[in-house]
Amino acid sequence: MSANRWFATGNFFSAYRDEQRIFTTHLDRAIFITFLAALFIWPLCFEVSSKYMLVLDNILIAMVAIIGLNLVTGFAGLISIGHAAFVGVGAYTLALLARTIGDSHVIITHAWPLMLLACGAMGAVFGGFVGLPALRLKHLYLAIATLSFQMIFQWTINFLPLFNQGQTIPVGRVFWFTGEVSRRDHYFFWYYVTLTIVVIFGLSVRNLLRTRYGRSLVAVRDNDRAADAMGMHPGLTKVYAFGLAGFFAGVAGGLHAYLYRGVGIESFMLHQSITYLAMAIVGGLGTLTGAFFGPAAIRLLDLQVENLVGWSAQFLPATMNLATALKPLTFGLVIVLFLMFEPRGIANWWRICRVYIKLWPFRY
Amino acid sequence: MRHQHVWMVPIMIVLGMVMALTPAAHAEVYKLALSLAITGPTSDAGNPYSKGVEDYIRYVNDTKLLKGDTVSCPIRDDQYQTDITKRNFEDFLADGIVLYLNYSTGSTLALKRDFEEEKIPVIPASFHAGNLEDSNYIFLPIATYSSQCIGLAEYIVANHKGDTPKVAMFIHPSAFGRGPVEDVQKAVAAGLKMDIVEVVEHGKDLDNTAMLQRLVSKQVRYVLSQTVQSPVATLLKDAQRLGLIAKQFGEEGKLTFLGAHYTGGNDLIELAGTAAEGYYWTTSYTLTSEPGEGTTFQLMLAKKYGRDDKTANSHNYTNGMMVAQLAVETIRRVKAKGEKVTRASLYNELNAMNGNNAYSPGNTVGPVTYSPTDHAGVDTLQIYSVKQGAFHSVGKPFIPAFVAKIKK
Amino acid sequence: MAYFLQLVISGIVVGSIYALSGLGFVLIYKSSRVLNIAHGQIIASGAFITYALTVWLEIPLYISFFISMGATFFLAMSVERVFLRRLIGEPIISVIMVTIGLMSILDGIIYLTPFGSVNYSFPEFFPKTPVNIGPATISWTQLVGLIITFVLIGLFSWFFKRSTVGISMRAVSDDQFASMSVGISVPRVFGLAWAMAGMSAAAAGGIIGNITGLNFETLHAFGIIVFPVVILGGLDSIIGAVVAGIIMGLIQQFASGYLDGKWGLNGTADVLPYVILLVILLFKPHGLFGTHEIERV
Repeated sequence: MSANRWFATGNFFSAYRDEQRIFTTHLDRAIFITFLAALFIWPLCFEVSSKYMLVLDNILIAMVAIIGLNLVTGFAGLISIGHAAFVGVGAYTLALLARTIGDSHVIITHAWPLMLLACGAMGAVFGGFVGLPALRLKHLYLAIATLSFQMIFQWTINFLPLFNQGQTIPVGRVFWFTGEVSRRDHYFFWYYVTLTIVVIFGLSVRNLLRTRYGRSLVAVRDNDRAADAMGMHPGLTKVYAFGLAGFFAGVAGGLHAYLYRGVGIESFMLHQSITYLAMAIVGGLGTLTGAFFGPAAIRLLDLQVENLVGWSAQFLPATMNLATALKPLTFGLVIVLFLMFEPRGIANWWRICRVYIKLWPFRY
Repeated sequence: MRHQHVWMVPIMIVLGMVMALTPAAHAEVYKLALSLAITGPTSDAGNPYSKGVEDYIRYVNDTKLLKGDTVSCPIRDDQYQTDITKRNFEDFLADGIVLYLNYSTGSTLALKRDFEEEKIPVIPASFHAGNLEDSNYIFLPIATYSSQCIGLAEYIVANHKGDTPKVAMFIHPSAFGRGPVEDVQKAVAAGLKMDIVEVVEHGKDLDNTAMLQRLVSKQVRYVLSQTVQSPVATLLKDAQRLGLIAKQFGEEGKLTFLGAHYTGGNDLIELAGTAAEGYYWTTSYTLTSEPGEGTTFQLMLAKKYGRDDKTANSHNYTNGMMVAQLAVETIRRVKAKGEKVTRASLYNELNAMNGNNAYSPGNTVGPVTYSPTDHAGVDTLQIYSVKQGAFHSVGKPFIPAFVAKIKK
Repeated sequence: MAYFLQLVISGIVVGSIYALSGLGFVLIYKSSRVLNIAHGQIIASGAFITYALTVWLEIPLYISFFISMGATFFLAMSVERVFLRRLIGEPIISVIMVTIGLMSILDGIIYLTPFGSVNYSFPEFFPKTPVNIGPATISWTQLVGLIITFVLIGLFSWFFKRSTVGISMRAVSDDQFASMSVGISVPRVFGLAWAMAGMSAAAAGGIIGNITGLNFETLHAFGIIVFPVVILGGLDSIIGAVVAGIIMGLIQQFASGYLDGKWGLNGTADVLPYVILLVILLFKPHGLFGTHEIERV
């Protein structure tokens, strides 16, 4: 440990405990707390339109889901092409309840934190169940097994009258201590809720990764046979990775249902699963920070392209096709370029920045 | 997020200066907005639809139809994703729109509650009957899919020779496809004399031979479809190959194919080729294959804004155009009364569009009528059938009788 | 009985088209261990190129069919050269995601063309009368498709078994380092595998386009429909793709022929392949004909 607890240029670890610390210096912690405080305070200082608040909420919800996806795909190395289906499981847990007891029943509107947990629990159950094939399947075959789950999920929702055959099932407005959350405050309210959840989950995953359970994930990813030889239980680890990912996805699903005040199958299709994967990749697989950068980057890119399209439409009204082609084109290009030139994602840029600052005035 | 507005600032300043320099004629801009699928699923319908809206709004502004006032109608692609539709809608709201044009069944149902809370009149491109349940602010431009299917069913019953006609329904595996099934069944229960032998939900089938043979073996004579063009085209091609397409309506031992709005149009003929011959289709729009006043105007509009033939003749172009016409007409009426154009005044005006106030946009087979209890616009349907590669009208426009009967 | 026979025949016809579409996956996976998710888009572009050549440039169908196979040959080869060459040795997830990215890019490019939003259909080349096989019938288009499928699959199998290039491709799939040491150019083999997959995609696209009409949504959905087929067959087995293709075709036909409409079920043909896939994978984790890899620490 360096003598100065505020600044440390380089590593001064003298025990493993030091290396495991979440914040290496006081400065790190101070910056982190300031940043968090800023995140909580800024919406009070600026006027933000509903659209952008909705986009922000959406990004935060995606973060919750991506933390889960990152655990299973990034840390445990099990490719999941069915993450949107897990999110859907969470959302439909709430929807089903809303359908049976009425969408504005007091349980749904007042006990929403419990509901979110229930969504997560259901997601975890399904995650663990879908993770079972992982005991036998590997690599691509496993990826396709998760894809199968996605397809079966879609068919089930689309088919069963119980789920309103994929049409929107409404979910009521929630209550806070001040009474019903009105339409004006809706996005605002869920911004705070989701942000809190992201912070809690982020910290817990950070902690998880410091434990043997977290390390066993990475060991199984790198070589499951070696992990087995080291006395870990690869099968159990894989199933629990899926279960955990399912939990995060389920909570994200519950949040999605509350935010959009309804659940419809369109938000949980294969396309979304692919988008989630893209977010995880662009953010940086196998890093916790990646789970925050990815969703922000992909969603904002989408928005910027849309703005560009809207702006260019003023000059090129007849070339609508060019404008509409831009969205898939940029989405694809971003994925491909990241994989080709920065496979470690935005999280790597963040790491480089941090190291650079830390070592300053020495050269990185 | 914030920097996005930064580059807007100079543009705003320039715009402001331009505004300040133009003579202060106090021209109002009425804000509408449209969010639809230009890419992604159903983009083949969404694309001409958006062009129809775009062209008519431009026409209104170019020819000063609103006497100096203009209409703005930004069009956004939502890729058939409800989440994006919702985002677009919130953006439009912040922009201060007075009337909103929506597209898909899914998003209309998902945003229904927002429409209620915002009290904003909405005209969607989806004619799903479920849109109207528990909602006051959604106005369908033409008859619902259910009405269309019932209309076709009535046509079958009226023109079938022999005992009770046996009918199969061929539907899209979604709410959009399933919606009308129940209503047709209700109509049968209410006394429409036909048998629904089977309801087939199609997948992504490459071969329908077995299904068609099964239908024939069950003595099915008519196939009523409620889906999009592509599966119908595959079905028709298979039927043609098997020699199962009826030469005349209701031919014995053969199948007569019929379908609702989104199964037909030139796209179907494009996809199915000669197999489309003898296909019966219903919609409330007039078609360019049957020249009339409305279609002349449509072709003129398409030509004026440089659209290709395919777009100009698409019934989805008509569809988009008509929705824009309806919106502009409502604005015009509110203005003519000397009221301020707001959501509420537009809503009231739409609800008052009946009796002598009914609106005929020219490209529909009947007038648009709304009332507080009836939010389906054109109630009249026209049956068309393909002859020599083009849809031609069969019989006169009519209002299906059982629609009212099953409402009770 | 006639109904049953019809289901079987239709199943085989549909299944062989699946097999042909699946062939592209197998060719690529066999040599380079890449699962190309953008295959559906290549199938679609093959169909569109064939259409553009035949209808807009009025080239006879059989010639444009081959030209479009040539075009996708180079398209796929350049895709490999530009995007995938750099990723040799990267983790499997990166490779999957690159093809997903490619899928999006190709989507974007196709939206630039009229095909992105407008439907077309091929003029009818074959007699409209059906071909009768006993009490069952298939169309000429399907029959020709069937023949092309089996000819192509035969050619590819022969190619892998006998030709020098084919043998070197198998060698590469077995052990890249060993094959490099005996003088095989591994990158070239990869490029070639992609190119051949592109060719088979164009053939599949041409056939599917003739059957369903040219709707971009329908065509590129094929890339996903074919997944259960190739996985079921085992990713690196041509014969597996054929067998699995036909099995899937039959399952779908039987599902829609016997299951739909009973017990309130519907649309089972779309989901059953995945259910069966899952079940079979639980017993045979490398598909029916896939190579069982031996893993060592």
